[in-house]
Parts: sequence; structure tokens; C-alpha cells
Amino acid sequence: MTQDNPKPETLAAKIGVYICHCGGNISDHVDVETVRRRVEKMPGVAVARTNMFMCSDPGQEMIAEDLKSGTVDRVVVASCAPSLHEKTFRSAIQRAGANPFIYEHANIREQVSCVHHGQAATDKATVLVAAAAAKAGQLKPLTPIRVPALRHATVIGAGAAGLSAARDLADSGIPVTLIEKSSFLGGQLARLDRIAPTGDLAADLVRQLVESVLNHRDITVLTDAEVVGFEGYIGNFKLTVRRGQPAVEPATEPRYIPFSGMQPAGTGADKPGDLTVETGAIVLATGFRSYRPRQGEYGFGDFSPVITLPDLIRKMAERHVPGNMLTIDGRQVRAVAMIHCVGSRQIPGIHPEDENGHLNEYCSRVCCTATLNAADRIRQAYPGTRVYELYRDIRTYGRDQEELYEQAGRNGVVFLRFEAENAPEVLPADPGDGFALKVKVTDTLTFGETLEVPADLVVLATGMEPNDVSDLVEMMKLPVGTDRFLLEVHPKLRPVEMPVAGIFVAGTCQAPFDVGEACNAAGAAAVKAAALLGAGQVELDPFVAEVDVDRCRGTGACIEACLNPGALSLVEMQIDGQTVQRARVTPALCLGCGACVAVCPENAIDVCGMTLRQYEAMVDAIVEN
Amino acid sequence: MTTATRSRGNKILVLATESCAYPGADSVGQAHSSYPANVYILRVKAPVLFPDRFYIDCFDKGIAGIVVMSCGEECPYDGAYHALAKRLDRVYQEMKARDIDIRRLRLTAICTVCNRAFLNEVNQMNAVVGELNN
Amino acid sequence: MDDHNDRNFDALVIGGGIAGLQSALDLADQGFTVAVIERDASVGGKMIRLSKVFPTLDCASCITTPKMAAAAHHDRITLLTYCDLISLQRENGGFRAEVIQRPRYVDARKCIGCRQCEYACPVLVPDREQGGFSPTKAIAIPFSNAIPQIAVLDPNHCMLCGRCERVCPTGAVDYFQQPQPFTVTARTAVVTTGFEMTTLADKPQYGRGKIPNLIDALQMERLLAPHGPYNRVLRPSDGKAPDSIAYIQCAGSRDKSMGQSYCSRVCCMYAIKQAMLLSGSLPLADITIYYMDIRAFGKGYEQFFQNAQAMGINFVKAKVAAVEPGPDGAVVLRYEAQDGEGVTTAEHDLVVLSLGLIPAWNPAGVCPLATASDRFIQSRRPKLAPVETAMEGLFAAGAAIGPKDIVDTIAEAGNAAMAAGKYLAALSRQGQETVAAQ
Repeated sequence: MTQDNPKPETLAAKIGVYICHCGGNISDHVDVETVRRRVEKMPGVAVARTNMFMCSDPGQEMIAEDLKSGTVDRVVVASCAPSLHEKTFRSAIQRAGANPFIYEHANIREQVSCVHHGQAATDKATVLVAAAAAKAGQLKPLTPIRVPALRHATVIGAGAAGLSAARDLADSGIPVTLIEKSSFLGGQLARLDRIAPTGDLAADLVRQLVESVLNHRDITVLTDAEVVGFEGYIGNFKLTVRRGQPAVEPATEPRYIPFSGMQPAGTGADKPGDLTVETGAIVLATGFRSYRPRQGEYGFGDFSPVITLPDLIRKMAERHVPGNMLTIDGRQVRAVAMIHCVGSRQIPGIHPEDENGHLNEYCSRVCCTATLNAADRIRQAYPGTRVYELYRDIRTYGRDQEELYEQAGRNGVVFLRFEAENAPEVLPADPGDGFALKVKVTDTLTFGETLEVPADLVVLATGMEPNDVSDLVEMMKLPVGTDRFLLEVHPKLRPVEMPVAGIFVAGTCQAPFDVGEACNAAGAAAVKAAALLGAGQVELDPFVAEVDVDRCRGTGACIEACLNPGALSLVEMQIDGQTVQRARVTPALCLGCGACVAVCPENAIDVCGMTLRQYEAMVDAIVEN
Repeated sequence: MTTATRSRGNKILVLATESCAYPGADSVGQAHSSYPANVYILRVKAPVLFPDRFYIDCFDKGIAGIVVMSCGEECPYDGAYHALAKRLDRVYQEMKARDIDIRRLRLTAICTVCNRAFLNEVNQMNAVVGELNN
Repeated sequence: MDDHNDRNFDALVIGGGIAGLQSALDLADQGFTVAVIERDASVGGKMIRLSKVFPTLDCASCITTPKMAAAAHHDRITLLTYCDLISLQRENGGFRAEVIQRPRYVDARKCIGCRQCEYACPVLVPDREQGGFSPTKAIAIPFSNAIPQIAVLDPNHCMLCGRCERVCPTGAVDYFQQPQPFTVTARTAVVTTGFEMTTLADKPQYGRGKIPNLIDALQMERLLAPHGPYNRVLRPSDGKAPDSIAYIQCAGSRDKSMGQSYCSRVCCMYAIKQAMLLSGSLPLADITIYYMDIRAFGKGYEQFFQNAQAMGINFVKAKVAAVEPGPDGAVVLRYEAQDGEGVTTAEHDLVVLSLGLIPAWNPAGVCPLATASDRFIQSRRPKLAPVETAMEGLFAAGAAIGPKDIVDTIAEAGNAAMAAGKYLAALSRQGQETVAAQ
């Protein structure tokens, strides 16, 4: 390439390189001291040091001291993946009074010590550190972009998590718009009856949540509403919300009676059409749906007495027929068999994939306790009905749940345990014995004996699947895990955040949860949004395009290539007494993708903090080291 | 560049997007899978940043293979993937003109959990580089 | 943390483990001032002592240290470590905490964490932070990534030889330091006092802790930790690398005869995690987990369990009835096999007890806070507001209100910060309304 600009700086950068042992995670495979010795001699490197844990306080302090004493003015830390600690080190640098953007990260854990060993690992680590140092030598201090943030949040989904998050945000003084697709508030919680292990009535919980939301002056509730448009950035999102006719329940789902107060006064029916919601942060609380068994799965669809657990809960809640025996759909039930893990804990090679090639390999978390609760209530209310539970593992993990398990046993629930590869079979009963069905199971609790359990009713403990939010996923560029739930940035470091800044996730759209856990998740998401919006402004990374006005000839090539309309424009300006056109960047709108960089015939535009020249320097370092 | 085209080693450059392929490579590390140590991963916001000549320069400098790991159709920057694919088509023409085997450059999409696809891509490129260097 | 004049904060967080740190950070980020009272000499709680954490196998230090550092450096957070909470009462519409700063015998304002005292000290003491497997000194920084980095002298082992005092470059060693009482007031409080493991000493069926090579899971965490006592997994009795390792699940959980009828919620997953780490460091060893039910219920946990099975870890459904010492340091287990074999014995080189969790703090006599029959703090509305307690303005999160894994603890801590933040906002509104009304 042609290099027609003079050497950028006469004052050479003083680079400090800090290499982390990660307590052995790195140093067991990379000879950290050798890397340090090699790096120390590289051009521009003022010091090279090592530490057991660079992210620890002493590690950070080491960097701060070198900056404060003027020993270094550029920093490279070689440690784990930047997603873990890039932020940590940038803030350490800032605390030391330096500009946080004079920092470059070398990933020698996930991309070296985890995957390579011996001499090769040490050599590759050296090269990556050299490349990082080469880039660091060219880094300039940058100023974060500050944009005002709207003091308003939007919650999508009005189930337990959504209602809870909306109320939390409004209570901390942030106006909220709550958007719900259906005509009702309360989500899946509204379909339940008494909830284990506390015995709370779901209707009471929904009513408390709904009342606190509907009576809140700072919450606007939009039912029958869908998000159809999304634009903007953290602090300044713009959502297009389409309000339609009140949704009609699909006929296949069990009807549930909306509790009083669940339907807000002004439903979408009176003013259908599109409206725009301007908002500073978004909380996704789009919830789950119950797994629908395949035709023929444990006899589902083949035999009418095979129903799902949510079906059973609704049927028992809606029609209580007193008597010695449970009555379902007008038929007395002498024995019920409940099969666990239907649509959950599926294993490749054992369970068939669905039509889209999906398997639900995860545990749905709540079904064991919900099933035990139903079983125990049947035994208590209808002592003439026998109850069998066919399970793989009983997962009564939560507080007071184990006690429910014991109680169900004491109340005469019979437990049979099966292996996944030897699943129970639901068959028509033998003629003459009077039962509707029989369930054949190889029970490992009785040393692998094959038993036949007669049953008038078979209940399938169906798991949770995330609601289909592919439209939002596409619009907002949300990551989805292999389990199809929304995928947080990191389960412990940033558990309620999506990679798009300003979008948070709460409740069962992220993973199966019970009500209390969903409310915890909602609070955790709400507190992050509240902290973000409370300040009135947000800081954005300064990694945006920058025009070199001396080089720009106003060709407009960058504007043509720009992927976010409005981020680049041509403006008129006076240069040497002449009116000329030059490109100008609107930083808050620039995505920093660099589409403009590649097309500029004059090399007059670049992305701050990741310039083309920096990448070229890294390639040179990789080739040379 | 003052130096003439260097003798080509076996170093493979991966341009990995920070929202998909780069965390994907980290996920390979977290799974403790192994791949050739001559693979060097650069974190990029979007590979659409690199002009045609960047690729040619890399080969001239002595890079043996380049795998561009984008987010594919999932790209967070609408239209970037299309622009990138068109650019690489031109780079392939240029490579042919300069007698650089076009198998040395590959465009692929890798997601954050595409461990197997990532390993396939780097292993394949390593095999190509090995074959061409012999 | 150096100056213990009586002070006032918006919020008080009791306990500086991962729950307390997360609550403190989420409160401070909302603009509130927070004091964290920690019994230990460092914040970080149990999590900082772990090796790696399920299901991502991230190293625990890498997740905890940034939160510890962020709290330590936050303008609105004050960390009060090595402090005992004597009393926590409601007073004047807020809370009044009586606290005693325990003596470190090192002046916190002078200590620079240089470790010269530790290097000079001639007294070796079993290192509690390393499961007692390796020694530390009678004066030492608690552990490598402790916050704050202030040395602590152990008066039970110190011989008063004076070497540390002579070598200290800042004159920080003070053999005559006294406990220092002080008062902290706040408008709201969050209890995040966490858990302890049940003790072996009261379990006759497991030899009351006297069987060699029968260790608990937290000790195994140290053996596995990147900066652990031996840098590899060795059997404590003879330093032999074990060929056969077993885990006994529900050792002190789900069993009234052992004192805990409840499920401790994390033991299945930590045992599977340790088994996976062990099969990495000892590829030839046989690893067996004796369990009642595998409770892999969280996000990604079931897949983690399936991976462990695919790696060849043996899962045996059985409740181990008794453990006895065997020949050559072996440990013998007696259990009822499910395959029809009846009562069976098995011999392993090293056996790990997956001990359950009990509350680390009993509020009796300190704070009028109700606990449930399981002795954890009672949650007033477990479904809609798990973090609310029976005391107005007092919230709780993490293992203080029942055994909980890290992921669930962090979410709950965030919710507690939300609840406390809302409570403070409501107090301010009331205050403004009262002023307006006057």
C-alpha cells in the first residue's frame, strides 16, 4: 500500500504489558515468564509484568501505579476473553486518571491456554500480545459519547414477570408502557390454581399484580398490542406498536375465565392502529407456553383420557365435583397415572426431534413440584382415587418443596421411577378390568420389575417452551440459545442483559422459572433499567466513524455505503475560502460497522479505536513474531 | 511496503465478528476443544470495514489463509453481509489475477455457539494451507 | 473503612458475599449510599473460595473479583470488613446497627498489603482458606485476591516474636489493638448473610470427620482450585493421586435424622462439576456419584448433567447408609443397590461428602427477624416478593432465605436492591409530601 502520511507521532507510546496467570488457567499451559521476557524487548513496550490474577485488586493496582508514575501511557492486558474483563481494566485505567481507551486486550485464555498446550501455546500467546501491543501503540484517547436518555421504560409481556417489572420501575419513579399481545393481563400464571408449596391462589397473585399496575399513574397498559417496529439505541429507542382486535383464544387451548380486573378498561378494540412509543430501555418479559405433546406421545391424541397437567389444573379448578373420587369430564377416576418430563429432558437418540429438528434437552424446573401438588391435592380431596407418579428424578429443589414430596408420599401417592431409554407406555386396558387405560413401566425402584398400572386418567407433566418471539429476535437482533430461550450476555456477570445495550430480559422468556423466581428476575432486570435511566443520560462507546476533513474530498462514497441512514451526511463548509462538501458523522447514530471505511477512495474515514491502520499493524505483528 | 512478498508461512488469520464468531471462538475455548495453534483471531465489529486491498496486502505480507467469520444473515448491521460478500467476490478475482489460490480466503458465518462449525472451518483452512505449502 | 465514626447511609447490607456485593452495587448504581458489613477479613463470601462454577465452568475468581473490586472502588459503597453485627434494630423510621470492628492487630490505615510480615513470620498455621490442607502464617493477607489487602494476625498462634513488627515498612502492626464498637444508621437494610456447610462432627454415620480421606466438598473445591494447596488433586492422608473417587449426595440434606429435611439445592450440580473437573485433572480415575435424585433444574444444568454422563462419570442411585475406614487409606461405603443386589459395599481411594447448606447467621438476640422451621430467614411473600421479610424496610436475598445457587442468588440480590430502592423512593416521596403538607 502507499504510505503518504508522515509518522503520526514523534512521541512514541509507552506501552505497559500485563500478563495474567489466571491462577494456573493460563500459566499451566503458557510459560507466562517467557512471554513476558520476549514482549519486554518489543518496540514501544516500556514494561512487561505478570500477576496471579490481573483482575484482582493488586493486579489492577499494578496498572494504576505504572500509569500514575508515567511509566506507561498505553496498556495491554493479556488474560481471559475480553467479554469478561475488558470493562474491568478500562475502569481501572480510568480510576488511575487516564483515558480508558488507551487499552487493548489480548485473549490468551479462551484462545490460547484453553485450546493449545506447551511451546505452541507460549508462542501463540507471544504473537497475540505482540499484535495487541502493535495496536496499542496507535491508540488515541477517546471521549465516550453522552446522549440524553429518555426517562421511560417499556415492558413487553404482561405475565408475572412483566407486571412485576413494570410496577418496580414505576415505583422507582420511571414512567412505563406495558405492552401485551393478548387482551388479558396475568399471562400463564392466570391459568393456574393453587400454587405449591405456599398454597397461594394464582388468582389472588394475579389480582395483586394487576391492581398495582392498573392503579399506577405512571404505567400505561396497552393490550392487544404488538411491537412491529424497532429503531434507535440505548436511552432513545422508538417502538412502533400495533393495536389490533382483542385476541381470541385458540380453540385448542383450555378456556380460562379471566379474573375480574384482568382486562384493563380501555382495551385495544376502541382504537386499533399503530402508535409510536419513545423509550429509554426495554424489558423483555415475553414468557413461555406449555409444551404440546406430539400426536401419540404417551397416547396423547389417541386416547381422550390422556391430558396435560395444565389441562388437569384447569379442569379441577373450574369444576369441583365433591365425592370420594376425582371426576374429570364427567367420568369418575379410580386411578390416575402422572408421567413426568414430557417435553423436557429430551435426549438425542432417545426422543424424536420435532418437525423443526428441536429437542428440549433442558429441565423445565417447575413440573415436579406442580405435579406433586396436583397429586397430593387429589389424594387429600378424593381419597378413593389412587395416584401413581412415574418420574425420572424428583426435583423438589426449592424451599418447602421437599416437604411437599414427603407429604405426597405420606398421603399415599405411589412413586415409580423409569429410565429415559425405557419410557412408560400408555396402552388400552385389558378388556374386562373396567379401566380406560393401563400404563406399562419398568420401575427401577423395585429392581427393574415391569409393572402395569391401571388408570382412568393419564396426566402428562408437560414442560415449558419459550413463546415464539422470532419477530422481536429479528427486529432487535436478540441472541437465542440452543434451547430457544433468549440468551443473556453471561449468566453470572450480566444475567439480565441482552448484547444490545438498553435491552433487558426477565422471567420465563430466558429460562423456566416458578413465580417467585420470575419475580426475582423481573426485579433484577428492573433495577438495571432503573439505574440506567435514573442518571438521565447514557454513555456510549466512542467506537464510531471519524472523518479526516483534510483528506475528505466529498465524494459521498461513504454515505452510499453507510448502513444506518442519517449517520453520515455531506455538509457544506468553507476551506481555504472555497465552499466544499465534506462528510460528517452523527456519532449517536453511527453503528461503528466500518462499511464507510472500506469504500473511501481517500482513506479519509475510519472507526475510532479500531482503525484500518491498527488492524494492519496487528497483521504485521502476527507475521513478524 | 518496502519488503517484497515474503515466503509464506502457515499463519491463518481469522476475522471474527465481536457479536458472533469471536464469542463463538471463546466458546470453543471454554469447551477445551483443540485446533491448530497457527490460527490467529482478530476481533472486528464487522468485516465490511476491510477494503479489497487489505486481503491482498495480508497475502503479500505472508499470511497463508484468511477465514472471514461473519454473523451471516444474522448480522447486526443490515446490509453489511451483502456488501461484504460482493467485496470478497472482487477479491477472489484479484487473487486469481495474482495467482493466489482462492481457497486461501473463505467467507463463512459462525454463531456464538457454533463450536463444531468453527472447528471445521479452521481445520479445513489448515488442511488447505498445508496442502498448498507442500 | 478506616474511620469508624458513627455514620449514616441510605442502605445497609449485612454480608459481603456475592449476594451482598450484587445488592450493594445495584443500590449504589441507583444513586444510594451503601455500607456493607462483613464478618470476614475480606469480602467475596463463599464464591471467592470456589474453583470453577457450573454450568459454564468459568473460574469463580474471574466472576467474583470484578464485583469485589467494583464494590471496593464505588464512590457510594463503604466496605466494613472483619466486623461483627451486635444489634440491628428499627429506630426513628430506619435502622440502627451496633457493630464491633474486630482487631486485626494491623492498622488498616497503614497496611499497604506488601506481605513482608507474612514472609517474616516464623509460625505456620493450617490455612483455613485452603481447606486446612496447606499452611499459612500467623500473620497474613487472608488470600491472594482478598479485598481489602490488609494483613490479619491470628492471636491464637502468634508467639509475639516481634519479627512482623520490625519488618513492616509502615509500622502497621499493633499488638495492642482493641475491638472497636461503632454505630451505623440507615433507612433500609438488606440481609445477605449466606450459608455454611453442615458439619461432619455431628454425623456418626460418616465417622464424625475422623475417617481419613473422607473430605467435604468445600475442601475438594480447594484441591481443584487453580491456586489450591497442592496445585493438583492428591489424597490428604498419603499424598497419593486417587484412582477411584466417590461422591455421597444428600450428606446432610433431605434427611431429618441428619438435621436437615430440606434439599440443599446446589449439591447435585457442584458434585457433577467437581467430577467433571476431576476427570480433567485425573483422566484415568473412576468417579462415581451416589445420589437419590439428580436435581439439575437450572438453565443449562440438565445438559451439563448429560455431558457428565457422556464423559463416563458413573451415577449410582443409592442412599449411602454408612462410611467406614478401609485398608490402605481406602474408604468403604455401605449402600443399598437398586439393581437387586441388596446391601452392597464399595471401596474408593477418596470420598467426598456433598454436605448440605445451613444458614450462616441466626438473627436471635441481634434482630427481631423471624426464621422458619428450616432456620433460614422467613420470606413474607415467597411468590410475589421473595425478598420481603416480616420487618418493615428489611429485605433479604441469597442463601440467607434458603439454599440457592449463584445464578439464582444474583437475580434475587438484584431484586432485593430493587425492593430496597423502591422503599427508599417511597420514603422520599412521603417526606416530600409531609413537607408540602406543612
